[in-house]
Amino acid sequence: MIAPLLAALTLAVASEPCAPVEPLPQPDPASAALYREVGDSEQAAGHREPALAAYRDALRNDPSDTKARAALDRLCRAPAGADPFQEGLRRMQAGQPREAIAQFEQARAGGPDPSAALLEGICWYNLGDDDAAAPLLREAELRPEHREMASYYRGLVALREGSASDAARLFDVASADPALEHLSAGLARVAHRDGRLVLSIVAESGWDSNVSLAPGGTFGPTSASDGTYGLSATALYRILGPSGPYLRASGFLHDQFQLGTYDLKGVDGAVGWQVGRADRGALAEYDLGYRTFGMNPFLTSHQLLGSGWLGAGGVVWTASWLGRFESYDGGFSPFSGFLQHGELRATFPLGDRALAGLAYGLGHDSTERSVLDFTEHGPGALLRLGVTPRLRFGLDAALTFREYGAFDPTLSARRADQYLDGAVFTEYDLSNHLMARVALTGRKAFSNVDAFDYAKLVPTVGLAWIGGW
Amino acid sequence: MIAAALSLALSMSLSAGGAGAGEHLLAGAGLFREARYAEALVEFRVAQRLGAAEAAGYAGATLVQLGRPDEALEAFGGPDAPARDALLDYYRGLAAFDARLYLAADRALTSLGSRAGPRIAGQAARLRQEIATALSGEPPRTAVDWYLARCAEYRGQQREVLARAFCRESSELGARRADRYGAQPRSASEPASQAKLAGSRP
Repeated sequence: MIAPLLAALTLAVASEPCAPVEPLPQPDPASAALYREVGDSEQAAGHREPALAAYRDALRNDPSDTKARAALDRLCRAPAGADPFQEGLRRMQAGQPREAIAQFEQARAGGPDPSAALLEGICWYNLGDDDAAAPLLREAELRPEHREMASYYRGLVALREGSASDAARLFDVASADPALEHLSAGLARVAHRDGRLVLSIVAESGWDSNVSLAPGGTFGPTSASDGTYGLSATALYRILGPSGPYLRASGFLHDQFQLGTYDLKGVDGAVGWQVGRADRGALAEYDLGYRTFGMNPFLTSHQLLGSGWLGAGGVVWTASWLGRFESYDGGFSPFSGFLQHGELRATFPLGDRALAGLAYGLGHDSTERSVLDFTEHGPGALLRLGVTPRLRFGLDAALTFREYGAFDPTLSARRADQYLDGAVFTEYDLSNHLMARVALTGRKAFSNVDAFDYAKLVPTVGLAWIGGW
Repeated sequence: MIAAALSLALSMSLSAGGAGAGEHLLAGAGLFREARYAEALVEFRVAQRLGAAEAAGYAGATLVQLGRPDEALEAFGGPDAPARDALLDYYRGLAAFDARLYLAADRALTSLGSRAGPRIAGQAARLRQEIATALSGEPPRTAVDWYLARCAEYRGQQREVLARAFCRESSELGARRADRYGAQPRSASEPASQAKLAGSRP
């Protein structure tokens, strides 16, 4: 919808408007006067090209029309050559933002030109130079006809700078234009949920067809089903905005209604540093985690995470690695060791409303016993679809091939598993901060050991509150 | 292709105005076909001054191409002017769309019905789909106020065709709200938050 709005600024450029005029064989002063009237009218309305064409026609019909001659000379003296605004627009539409910027600057050199300021600001935004874009967009915003578009781009700049409250206010202004309302309203909600400080609380309940014996896939299921409920809270503080150091704290509980010995609780504290933006960047993070299982100490972990991403050709490539030193308690202690997982992911838009991703992961767990060590790898895929501005749909799928490190005498086998994981969910924004979510996750595990061959389904419903400042 | 169709339609429909007006209309049509819109507009404006009533519609189509939708709507006699040639009615809808008069644009494009050829009908359908997407949610109060402010602005400039169009759009958008804010026709001079804002800007 933005492209037609920009295209509406288009004006045709007459070719050679100031070249010498070839007079007609027979002068026609009456026609010349009509053309001159049209020229005067167009010039008075600020439309240079039609005025030039009209004065040229006037002189073609009557070379002695001094008023037309004077008006044409005045117009031709003002800016030499092609209209820089038009040339800038042409360059912008041809995907040459830097060349377009030079033209818009020339157009603004003669005095305030909010249209040129708007388009130049958009060019700078697209080039990632928000400092250059911001004052131009502010200038354009002063004109009522550009107010919403300029606010929309100022909102994008604010969002990119991490000024979520400013972004939310600007998107609210931009949404006054119905053509921008869909884009702006969605981004306003994003802005209301973003900022230097972000708090989120999620409550959910559901049913597990096959409750796991222990978290993390270290054991198979119980073959017993139960209802579940969970609560989690996260606080993220980005000290300098999106780029820079950050702190994160989170806690969760995931309980069964009846099988209380499988209840899981945990807390995490993390410190990290992110550089760059959505199209390119990297982060490094340390996370200290603690878990209880059935009210007993279960796991203490020290996790390192590194990730980098780069946008190229419409695809964002992400490479990430995590390494976790795991220390299990009590009877789980043989699982202690060092778990690593790496992934390469490509995400790309599918049309205006969908995002798809393809990934391949590789992991290895070194434990205290070689029979528990495993190496796993496999592909994954995701799809995110914005059904309406408030309603989203998501789909995740993954296939994992896992092989254990040694023959296990207890199982009389060297265990090898394959996992087919899937999740579908839909989210609906009830307000700028509140979101409802319905999800269905499932796993089918295939194993060369029958006891680890199982399937499970977990439908859940939940409410999430997210606020950013 | 649509520009060529406009030129052909004009060539076949020349009837009114003097011989001089006809020449300017044809010259304008030729320039329009060559996408020399500034020069085409001049020819259509001269034809208007020579009494060719149909020149206004062609000037309107040209103004759409020049990115001057508000003036185009004035040339057409407003977004809800009586239907004439299907091609010009399509341009009238396009002018309304470019002027952000989405409901008016939808009415104009709907009125094309079976009169439009397949190419224009296809373009009109795509435009109507964009309009449906833009208007699928409840219009915000700020949008209702924005149209009312534009109405007041045009009324102040004594551009009554545009003032009526923006006031009607404001009222009809209001009628799409659950609280019907702005649904009742209001005087454009009535204080409204957005009108005050717009009025205070340089």
